[in-house]
Amino acid sequence: MLPISGLLKDLRSLVDRGRVLGDVEDLLAYANDATHRQVIPAAVVIPESPAEVAAVLRYANEHRVPVVPRGAGSSLAGGATPSPGSIVLDLKRMNRIIEVDRKNLTAIVECGVVTQKFQETVESMGLFYPPDPQSMSVCTMGANVATRAGGPRGVKYGTTKDYVLGVEAVLPDGSVINYGGKSVKMSSGYDLARMFTGSEGTLGVITRVMVKLLTLPPCRRTMVAAFPELDPAAEAVSAIIAEGANPSCLEMLSQSSVMLIENYIPLGLPRDVEAFLLIEVDGHPAKVEEDCELITGVCRRHGVKEVRTARTEAEAERIWLARRALFPAVAHMAPNVLIEDATVPRSQVPAMVRAIGLIAQRNQVTIGVSGHVGDGNLHPGIMADKRNPELMERVDRAMAEIAREALRLSGTLSGEHGIGTIKAPFLEWEFGPEGVALMRRIKKAFDPNGIMNPGKIWPGSGGDAGV
Amino acid sequence: MLVYKIEDYVKEINRCLQCNFCLATCPVYKEDMVESSVARGRINLINAAMVEKTIPLSDRTRELINRCLLCTSCMQGCPSGIPVDDIIIAARHELFNKFGFGYVEKFVFRQVLNRRSVGTLATRAVSLLKKFNLFPGPVPPLASPPFEQRISGTVSPSGAVRARVAYFTGCGTNFLYPDTGEAVVKVLVENGFEVVIPPDQNCCGIPALAHGDQQAALEAIRGNAEIFASLDVDAVVTDCTSCGYMLKVKAAKVLPPGDPCRSQVSAVAGKVFEVTEYLAGLGLDKTPRPQSTRITYHVPCHRAWSRGLPEAPRNLVALVPGTELVEMRDPQGCCGAGGATFITHPGLSERIRSRKLDDILDTGAEIVMTQCPACRYYLTEGLKEKGGIRVVHPVSILAGSY
Repeated sequence: MLPISGLLKDLRSLVDRGRVLGDVEDLLAYANDATHRQVIPAAVVIPESPAEVAAVLRYANEHRVPVVPRGAGSSLAGGATPSPGSIVLDLKRMNRIIEVDRKNLTAIVECGVVTQKFQETVESMGLFYPPDPQSMSVCTMGANVATRAGGPRGVKYGTTKDYVLGVEAVLPDGSVINYGGKSVKMSSGYDLARMFTGSEGTLGVITRVMVKLLTLPPCRRTMVAAFPELDPAAEAVSAIIAEGANPSCLEMLSQSSVMLIENYIPLGLPRDVEAFLLIEVDGHPAKVEEDCELITGVCRRHGVKEVRTARTEAEAERIWLARRALFPAVAHMAPNVLIEDATVPRSQVPAMVRAIGLIAQRNQVTIGVSGHVGDGNLHPGIMADKRNPELMERVDRAMAEIAREALRLSGTLSGEHGIGTIKAPFLEWEFGPEGVALMRRIKKAFDPNGIMNPGKIWPGSGGDAGV
Repeated sequence: MLVYKIEDYVKEINRCLQCNFCLATCPVYKEDMVESSVARGRINLINAAMVEKTIPLSDRTRELINRCLLCTSCMQGCPSGIPVDDIIIAARHELFNKFGFGYVEKFVFRQVLNRRSVGTLATRAVSLLKKFNLFPGPVPPLASPPFEQRISGTVSPSGAVRARVAYFTGCGTNFLYPDTGEAVVKVLVENGFEVVIPPDQNCCGIPALAHGDQQAALEAIRGNAEIFASLDVDAVVTDCTSCGYMLKVKAAKVLPPGDPCRSQVSAVAGKVFEVTEYLAGLGLDKTPRPQSTRITYHVPCHRAWSRGLPEAPRNLVALVPGTELVEMRDPQGCCGAGGATFITHPGLSERIRSRKLDDILDTGAEIVMTQCPACRYYLTEGLKEKGGIRVVHPVSILAGSY
């Protein structure tokens, strides 16, 4: 391997000195993402253009140095954890919104644009970009594409993958590809934009993204429903959608979650119930009204104890504020909390919820079940303590069992976080050895030397071993 | 025995979710755009250099730990409520122990701010230090005479007394802006409050604490607690949001367990109010005269210690007929002053300030109101060449209508 001093010197000849970090004090800030595992990289480069990205990749490819692209470093799956000896590419300075095209309802952004900033920009123009990962105040558009990020609105609007029209990406050899455009229809060649969507930085570096937009829905309503028992609440979820309502968010909170929230933001919710559904409906006012009635009816038939619709914008905002308070509330319960991302078909939500209860019991770990149940994307929060190896073993076992169970129920390992490092060992369970072997061959076509984000999606150290 | 030890914060450091949400709000990150300038990066650095000691306490470590405004923006969006400012303070205390201090800072904290009775002497000493260029950045000019030599003792209203309040006079008001102090007294008295201004008050201690000189902070806190706990008053008001943060929240944390001053400190903390919130809460007795001004409000960073604080000045000026409040795009955005950061890191502070100045100018306001004297000074300087928009404390606007 190249001596570090030589590496820094070389990188500083490619990119302005101030944007190449090599002191351990600075590198430490890039040593991990939200999964806590720390690997101090060899260098951090902060490019400002695709040309600079290309220069760094060409160099890294020639010298076989691993490269780890990075947005906000907020991955819950380990996708942004540096590889040993790697160059981390901090892409947050490539943050211009290049164009918002009202006539075609499309936008072009650089990879480092912060998702929430982008949303605010298009909303100020009466347009709408729905994907809403909960880290949207910091996470970036390029990384959202690379992980197929999503959030509560997934139930109606899908996730990032459903909005990508095209990408500009730099390949490890420094060549730049452009795929896609403003056409809604496109049936031309392999879909390379899809290829990069969800690639988790293993194929190249996404430098620009073209996305489609919607118009902002004119009306929005929020409802809360409290169920004495968990099972009927989960049943009501499938029924709501099966009967034709089209909620924009459909979240479930367990009783313990609600108690935690009540301590932060008292909403006056009943305490003697097992589950809550938080529901948002948006669209044309008449259809919203109709859906609210339909949902109320379904909840009643499933033995709801109380169902109410927020009367004012302020009341609705308060309910969603409470939902957002769940993460902090859960975070207070244990030194560390691992957020799972297993996703099942909507109809299997009740089975999955029951299974998680059993898995928690069997492994003697505490798991809070909440999540975007409307699209089957559960986020079991497993209470952990990284300084307690014995507990961590049980936590790992519970995670593996949750993954297996989700697959058994025809689900998937990840709904919106990606595979990263933490689920890499499970990938074969989902796609079989043949599926994974094909993926590896595809990677090899893009990245013959295996420099791009090695050790992600499937286990391996990178280099030849990782390809 | 001192208490802000990094060992005491290991649990808090480990509680960090590593979500990096602090990236969204950190004014230093907005300028530097490197993750070592964000709370998560700093916490991980402090953990490595001071707790696990896997890397040495280098100059770069010092610089990164000192390159924080202690504005607490990161804490306001932190999902797990990590006390980032306490962790930074503890780290700076560690640096102070290891490297000691510049003699200039030590002199300022221990001799000037904590020994106000020798005020004029201190004033002369600071001018001398300035003359020899011993400060890295710009230093505000000192007012003469300081507030404590203008008004002291008890000032009573002409009519019935609604309540008796002690006025904690911060260093900003005392040394830089006695006009704020005069306005506070005038507005309180006009509204039926009896104001007690005890002599020999100390600095609140927050500048010393922020720079790691915990001993100086402790002396300041003890001195003030003795003075204010002995007064028979209904409330202790301050015009400065950072002094309030110190008196209300931080002072008790600085005291070692079992400190003889503890009960006095908590008794005082229980009575502390920021003056505009106090007035807005109890309501004005006297109707302000109309004045025609366009005002914008810069919300100081140290605002989270009291709930109604950011709204109080807005509510008060709404009671002055003829005034128009024009909000900035980002009223809570940091101005870059960061206590004395603008002296120690002039380049960084200026870049942060330039965003704020644009925001202010776009409102078309004639007056910026803010409760923090450091913000006031720093914004005033920045606005000098931009049409000379005035920066004042909100009580001064009210005082102008009496």
